[in-house]
Amino acid sequence: MYNEGRSSRLMPLLKIDNQEIEVKSGTTVLQAALKQGIEIPYYCYHPALEVVGSCRMCLVKVEGMPKLQVSCNTYIGEAPEERKIDGKFDMVVDTKDKIVVQEQKNILEFLLLNHPLDCSVCDQAGECYLQDYSFKYGNAHSRFDEDKRVRANVYLGSQVLINHNRCILCSLCVRFTREISGTNELFVEQRGYNSKIATVEDNPLDNYLAGNVTDICPVGALLSTDYIHKNRIWNLNKQPSVCQDCSVGCNVDVFYQKDKIFRLSPRENHDVNGYFMCDIGRYGFHRYEEIDRITSPMLKSNGIFSEITWAEAMTKIVDEIGLNDGNIAGIASPFHTNETNFLLGNLIGNVIGILPEIVDEELQYPSGFRISGDRSPNKQGMTDVCPQIMEAFADKFDKKNIKLLYVLDDGIDRKLDKKWSNIFSEMNLIIVQTYAMTEIAKSGDLLLPGLAPFEREGTITNDRKRVQWLRPSLSSQGESRPDWEILTTILNELSEESPLFTDLSQVIKAMGESFPKYKDLSFFKIGMNGLSLNGAAKD
Amino acid sequence: MSEFKPILTEFIDQKNCHTFDFYESKGGYSALKKALSMSPEDVIEEVKASNLRGRGGAGFPTGLKWSFVPPDSDKPKYLINNADESEPGTFKDRLLMNKAPHQMLEGMIIAAYSIGCHTSFIYIRGEFYKECRILEEMIGDAYEHNLLGKNILDSGFNLDIVIHRGAGAYICGEETALLESLEGKRGWPRIKPPFPAIEGYLKSPTVVNNVETLSCLPHILNRGAEWFRSIGPKKGPGPRLFGVSGTVNNPGVFEEEMGIPLKDLIFDRAGGISNGGKLKAVFPGGSSSAILTAEEAMDVRMDFDELSEKKSMLGSAGVIVMDETVNMVQACLNIARFYAHESCGQCTPCREGTTWLVKMLTRMVHGKGTSKDIDMLFEITDNIGGLIDFSKGSYGKTICPFGEAVAWPVRSFVEKFKDEFLQCIMKEEVVA
Repeated sequence: MYNEGRSSRLMPLLKIDNQEIEVKSGTTVLQAALKQGIEIPYYCYHPALEVVGSCRMCLVKVEGMPKLQVSCNTYIGEAPEERKIDGKFDMVVDTKDKIVVQEQKNILEFLLLNHPLDCSVCDQAGECYLQDYSFKYGNAHSRFDEDKRVRANVYLGSQVLINHNRCILCSLCVRFTREISGTNELFVEQRGYNSKIATVEDNPLDNYLAGNVTDICPVGALLSTDYIHKNRIWNLNKQPSVCQDCSVGCNVDVFYQKDKIFRLSPRENHDVNGYFMCDIGRYGFHRYEEIDRITSPMLKSNGIFSEITWAEAMTKIVDEIGLNDGNIAGIASPFHTNETNFLLGNLIGNVIGILPEIVDEELQYPSGFRISGDRSPNKQGMTDVCPQIMEAFADKFDKKNIKLLYVLDDGIDRKLDKKWSNIFSEMNLIIVQTYAMTEIAKSGDLLLPGLAPFEREGTITNDRKRVQWLRPSLSSQGESRPDWEILTTILNELSEESPLFTDLSQVIKAMGESFPKYKDLSFFKIGMNGLSLNGAAKD
Repeated sequence: MSEFKPILTEFIDQKNCHTFDFYESKGGYSALKKALSMSPEDVIEEVKASNLRGRGGAGFPTGLKWSFVPPDSDKPKYLINNADESEPGTFKDRLLMNKAPHQMLEGMIIAAYSIGCHTSFIYIRGEFYKECRILEEMIGDAYEHNLLGKNILDSGFNLDIVIHRGAGAYICGEETALLESLEGKRGWPRIKPPFPAIEGYLKSPTVVNNVETLSCLPHILNRGAEWFRSIGPKKGPGPRLFGVSGTVNNPGVFEEEMGIPLKDLIFDRAGGISNGGKLKAVFPGGSSSAILTAEEAMDVRMDFDELSEKKSMLGSAGVIVMDETVNMVQACLNIARFYAHESCGQCTPCREGTTWLVKMLTRMVHGKGTSKDIDMLFEITDNIGGLIDFSKGSYGKTICPFGEAVAWPVRSFVEKFKDEFLQCIMKEEVVA
């Protein structure tokens, strides 16, 4: 029953470019090669989408097969004993054979026949598979003496433009709208040479996942109108981080230059978002571009804010906390990191509440992709690291005789309802840790300039209890300080016994000591893909 | 020339030959009764033993195709009658549906019984409106006589047949494109594996057979595999309907035995070249087959293997004859134009390559060709679907055989009539 030596009947032995590897039965040659670091060029394959094998770019030579095979649809399985090659291999593949190399040239020649070769003005340049493969595998000269097919650009939706001339009809975008978003806006119109990507009956591509088609497009055909002609990819820095626009916490790459974000794109994480992200998060960064930033501590007197120094602010805080001892409450924020909320808990103790949740439409797509109704990124983490979040907080102000309120501001999305406006107006002093002149800031008395969402660093925990590493893309402005640093300084001012943390790791360590779920946590452990708290729960 | 008596088209000249009553009066449905008394496995064995090969174009052994259907699969199994006859120069299935629909239906029921199918489809070319009406009548009669429906002829076997009219795309004659189209999707061929016998219509085991193939079955069951094998070449025996068209005196469909010399078809059955002209070239098996020169055509038998050896194919047995007046560059352009128009556009080589050929040939026809164009035509056709490695004889670069279907004829034109292409380049303008 068992093969001697190699026990696993389920692990066929593949020889690819003279490397011997064991692969899981049912793996395709393309998957095996990519995993092994062997490059096979391809266009129409995407791990999340159905295999169609239409671009013909990934052809490889498989021993015993009369013609070249598309590696995306060549499955490796256990061969019967008598058909094993060299007595042991279940499949032998050559990806660099002369015929394969020639075939790659041929396919690229076909793809470039009608291509405008306008890399110099194309947004995809620098991250274009057509450009890369042409450079690597293609011919230097065209043999095409005929007229090219020329078509006008068309808006497929409000945020997606198609340049038909660059399109190679890999159909990834069509399959995306069928299989991932399930919205079916796109299809291939016409036939053969006249084939082109179009929207069905003028039903525009305007679903919340539409932006993803511009990512999966391997060439410069599908363009995000948000990014078109804004910059070149090689000018941009890429910061892996986490989206902060809902409690799913999609992994993203933030592309920025100096202190300006140019675009966000999804970062693969199979425990969170797969390969995709939604347009709410994708274009959300623009919200922070034209806001009234607060870059220095400010104090209100006679209804007018004026800038003060940090030293003055600290003195004022220490004085006021002393005066109002016992009548202080804090408002935690699901928009802030775990560390900031934890330190607020250290400052305030048990009298902590939150403002009404910011919610919106909850969306679930057929592929399982989810946009949470909870549009804050860290409600789970905030709840985990605050000693206690008080229920019906607004009703307890009178009873507890609260006079000083310390608020972590949710930010520009926070609206203040009448009830809370009234509560705010009854306070002796409201200290607001914020980054802009938000509604809360306007009703506050002492404003402490923290960091805006893309400037923050720390950990946040998504609604599936996964801790993730939020990393900063932009630098802080003016006199603003990291939110955790503001709180640690206040704590230390109030009591010298309170440790003056000098970096985030120390805060995370202390947080783990108070809240065992987060014990032994570190950025190193969280890494790029986050860490699930479900398995590691110690309490 | 041995005397061959038509088998499939024996009665087509008689009045009302398409009706149930007529077919029954000639002993129709006796083969079905026989089949229903046998086990499905025995029917498959009988068909295997007959060496019947598909009449649609590829010539795949029918019995073998059936045996790929997993008998123990718990999914429903489907039989699809491919009546989407659209290969240029081919018009035999239309004749069979017009004149002998019940013969085809009997074959369908036998095939369905042997693979365990209870719902079957006839995918008929949309333009065959008249034939569709005939088939509808045929199905009505069959239900009435308990040849379809529940418990057919008290055998306990159930079968329903649905007619589906295509929308006129050539590619939907390709079996996987046909399946997509039948499922209501765009007619794009599927990548294989999985093959239809495992995952076909609605991801269930499916067999797709041609009208003529199915029409052969009643005769095989009635007279036995051995009789069938004795007709023509052993490896691909049986009667065959040849559609002869082009510059001949008497174009039409001729039923002959497999392996008939091509020259007999042209000069005897079809009455020779029209206007006393001279034969120049022939497509032996529809426009997808490589063209044969007059010399080659005079010396070839219409047999699967012999035509393969000549680097052409029997295909759908649609013989298109061309006489000396035909300009080969224009004929080549005509063929290329057809395939460029019908390419589904899914795979790169076919979508881009076919139109490249058309653009280049159009330029040549208009006297703008250059000498390097001839070499380019060879290279492009090879890159679409020609030979990758001649020494190993491996070909095919696209999902479906469409790539070869355009590459082979176009390449054969240039290869066999190179002088004419060269002349065309020299001349200023050849358009009439």
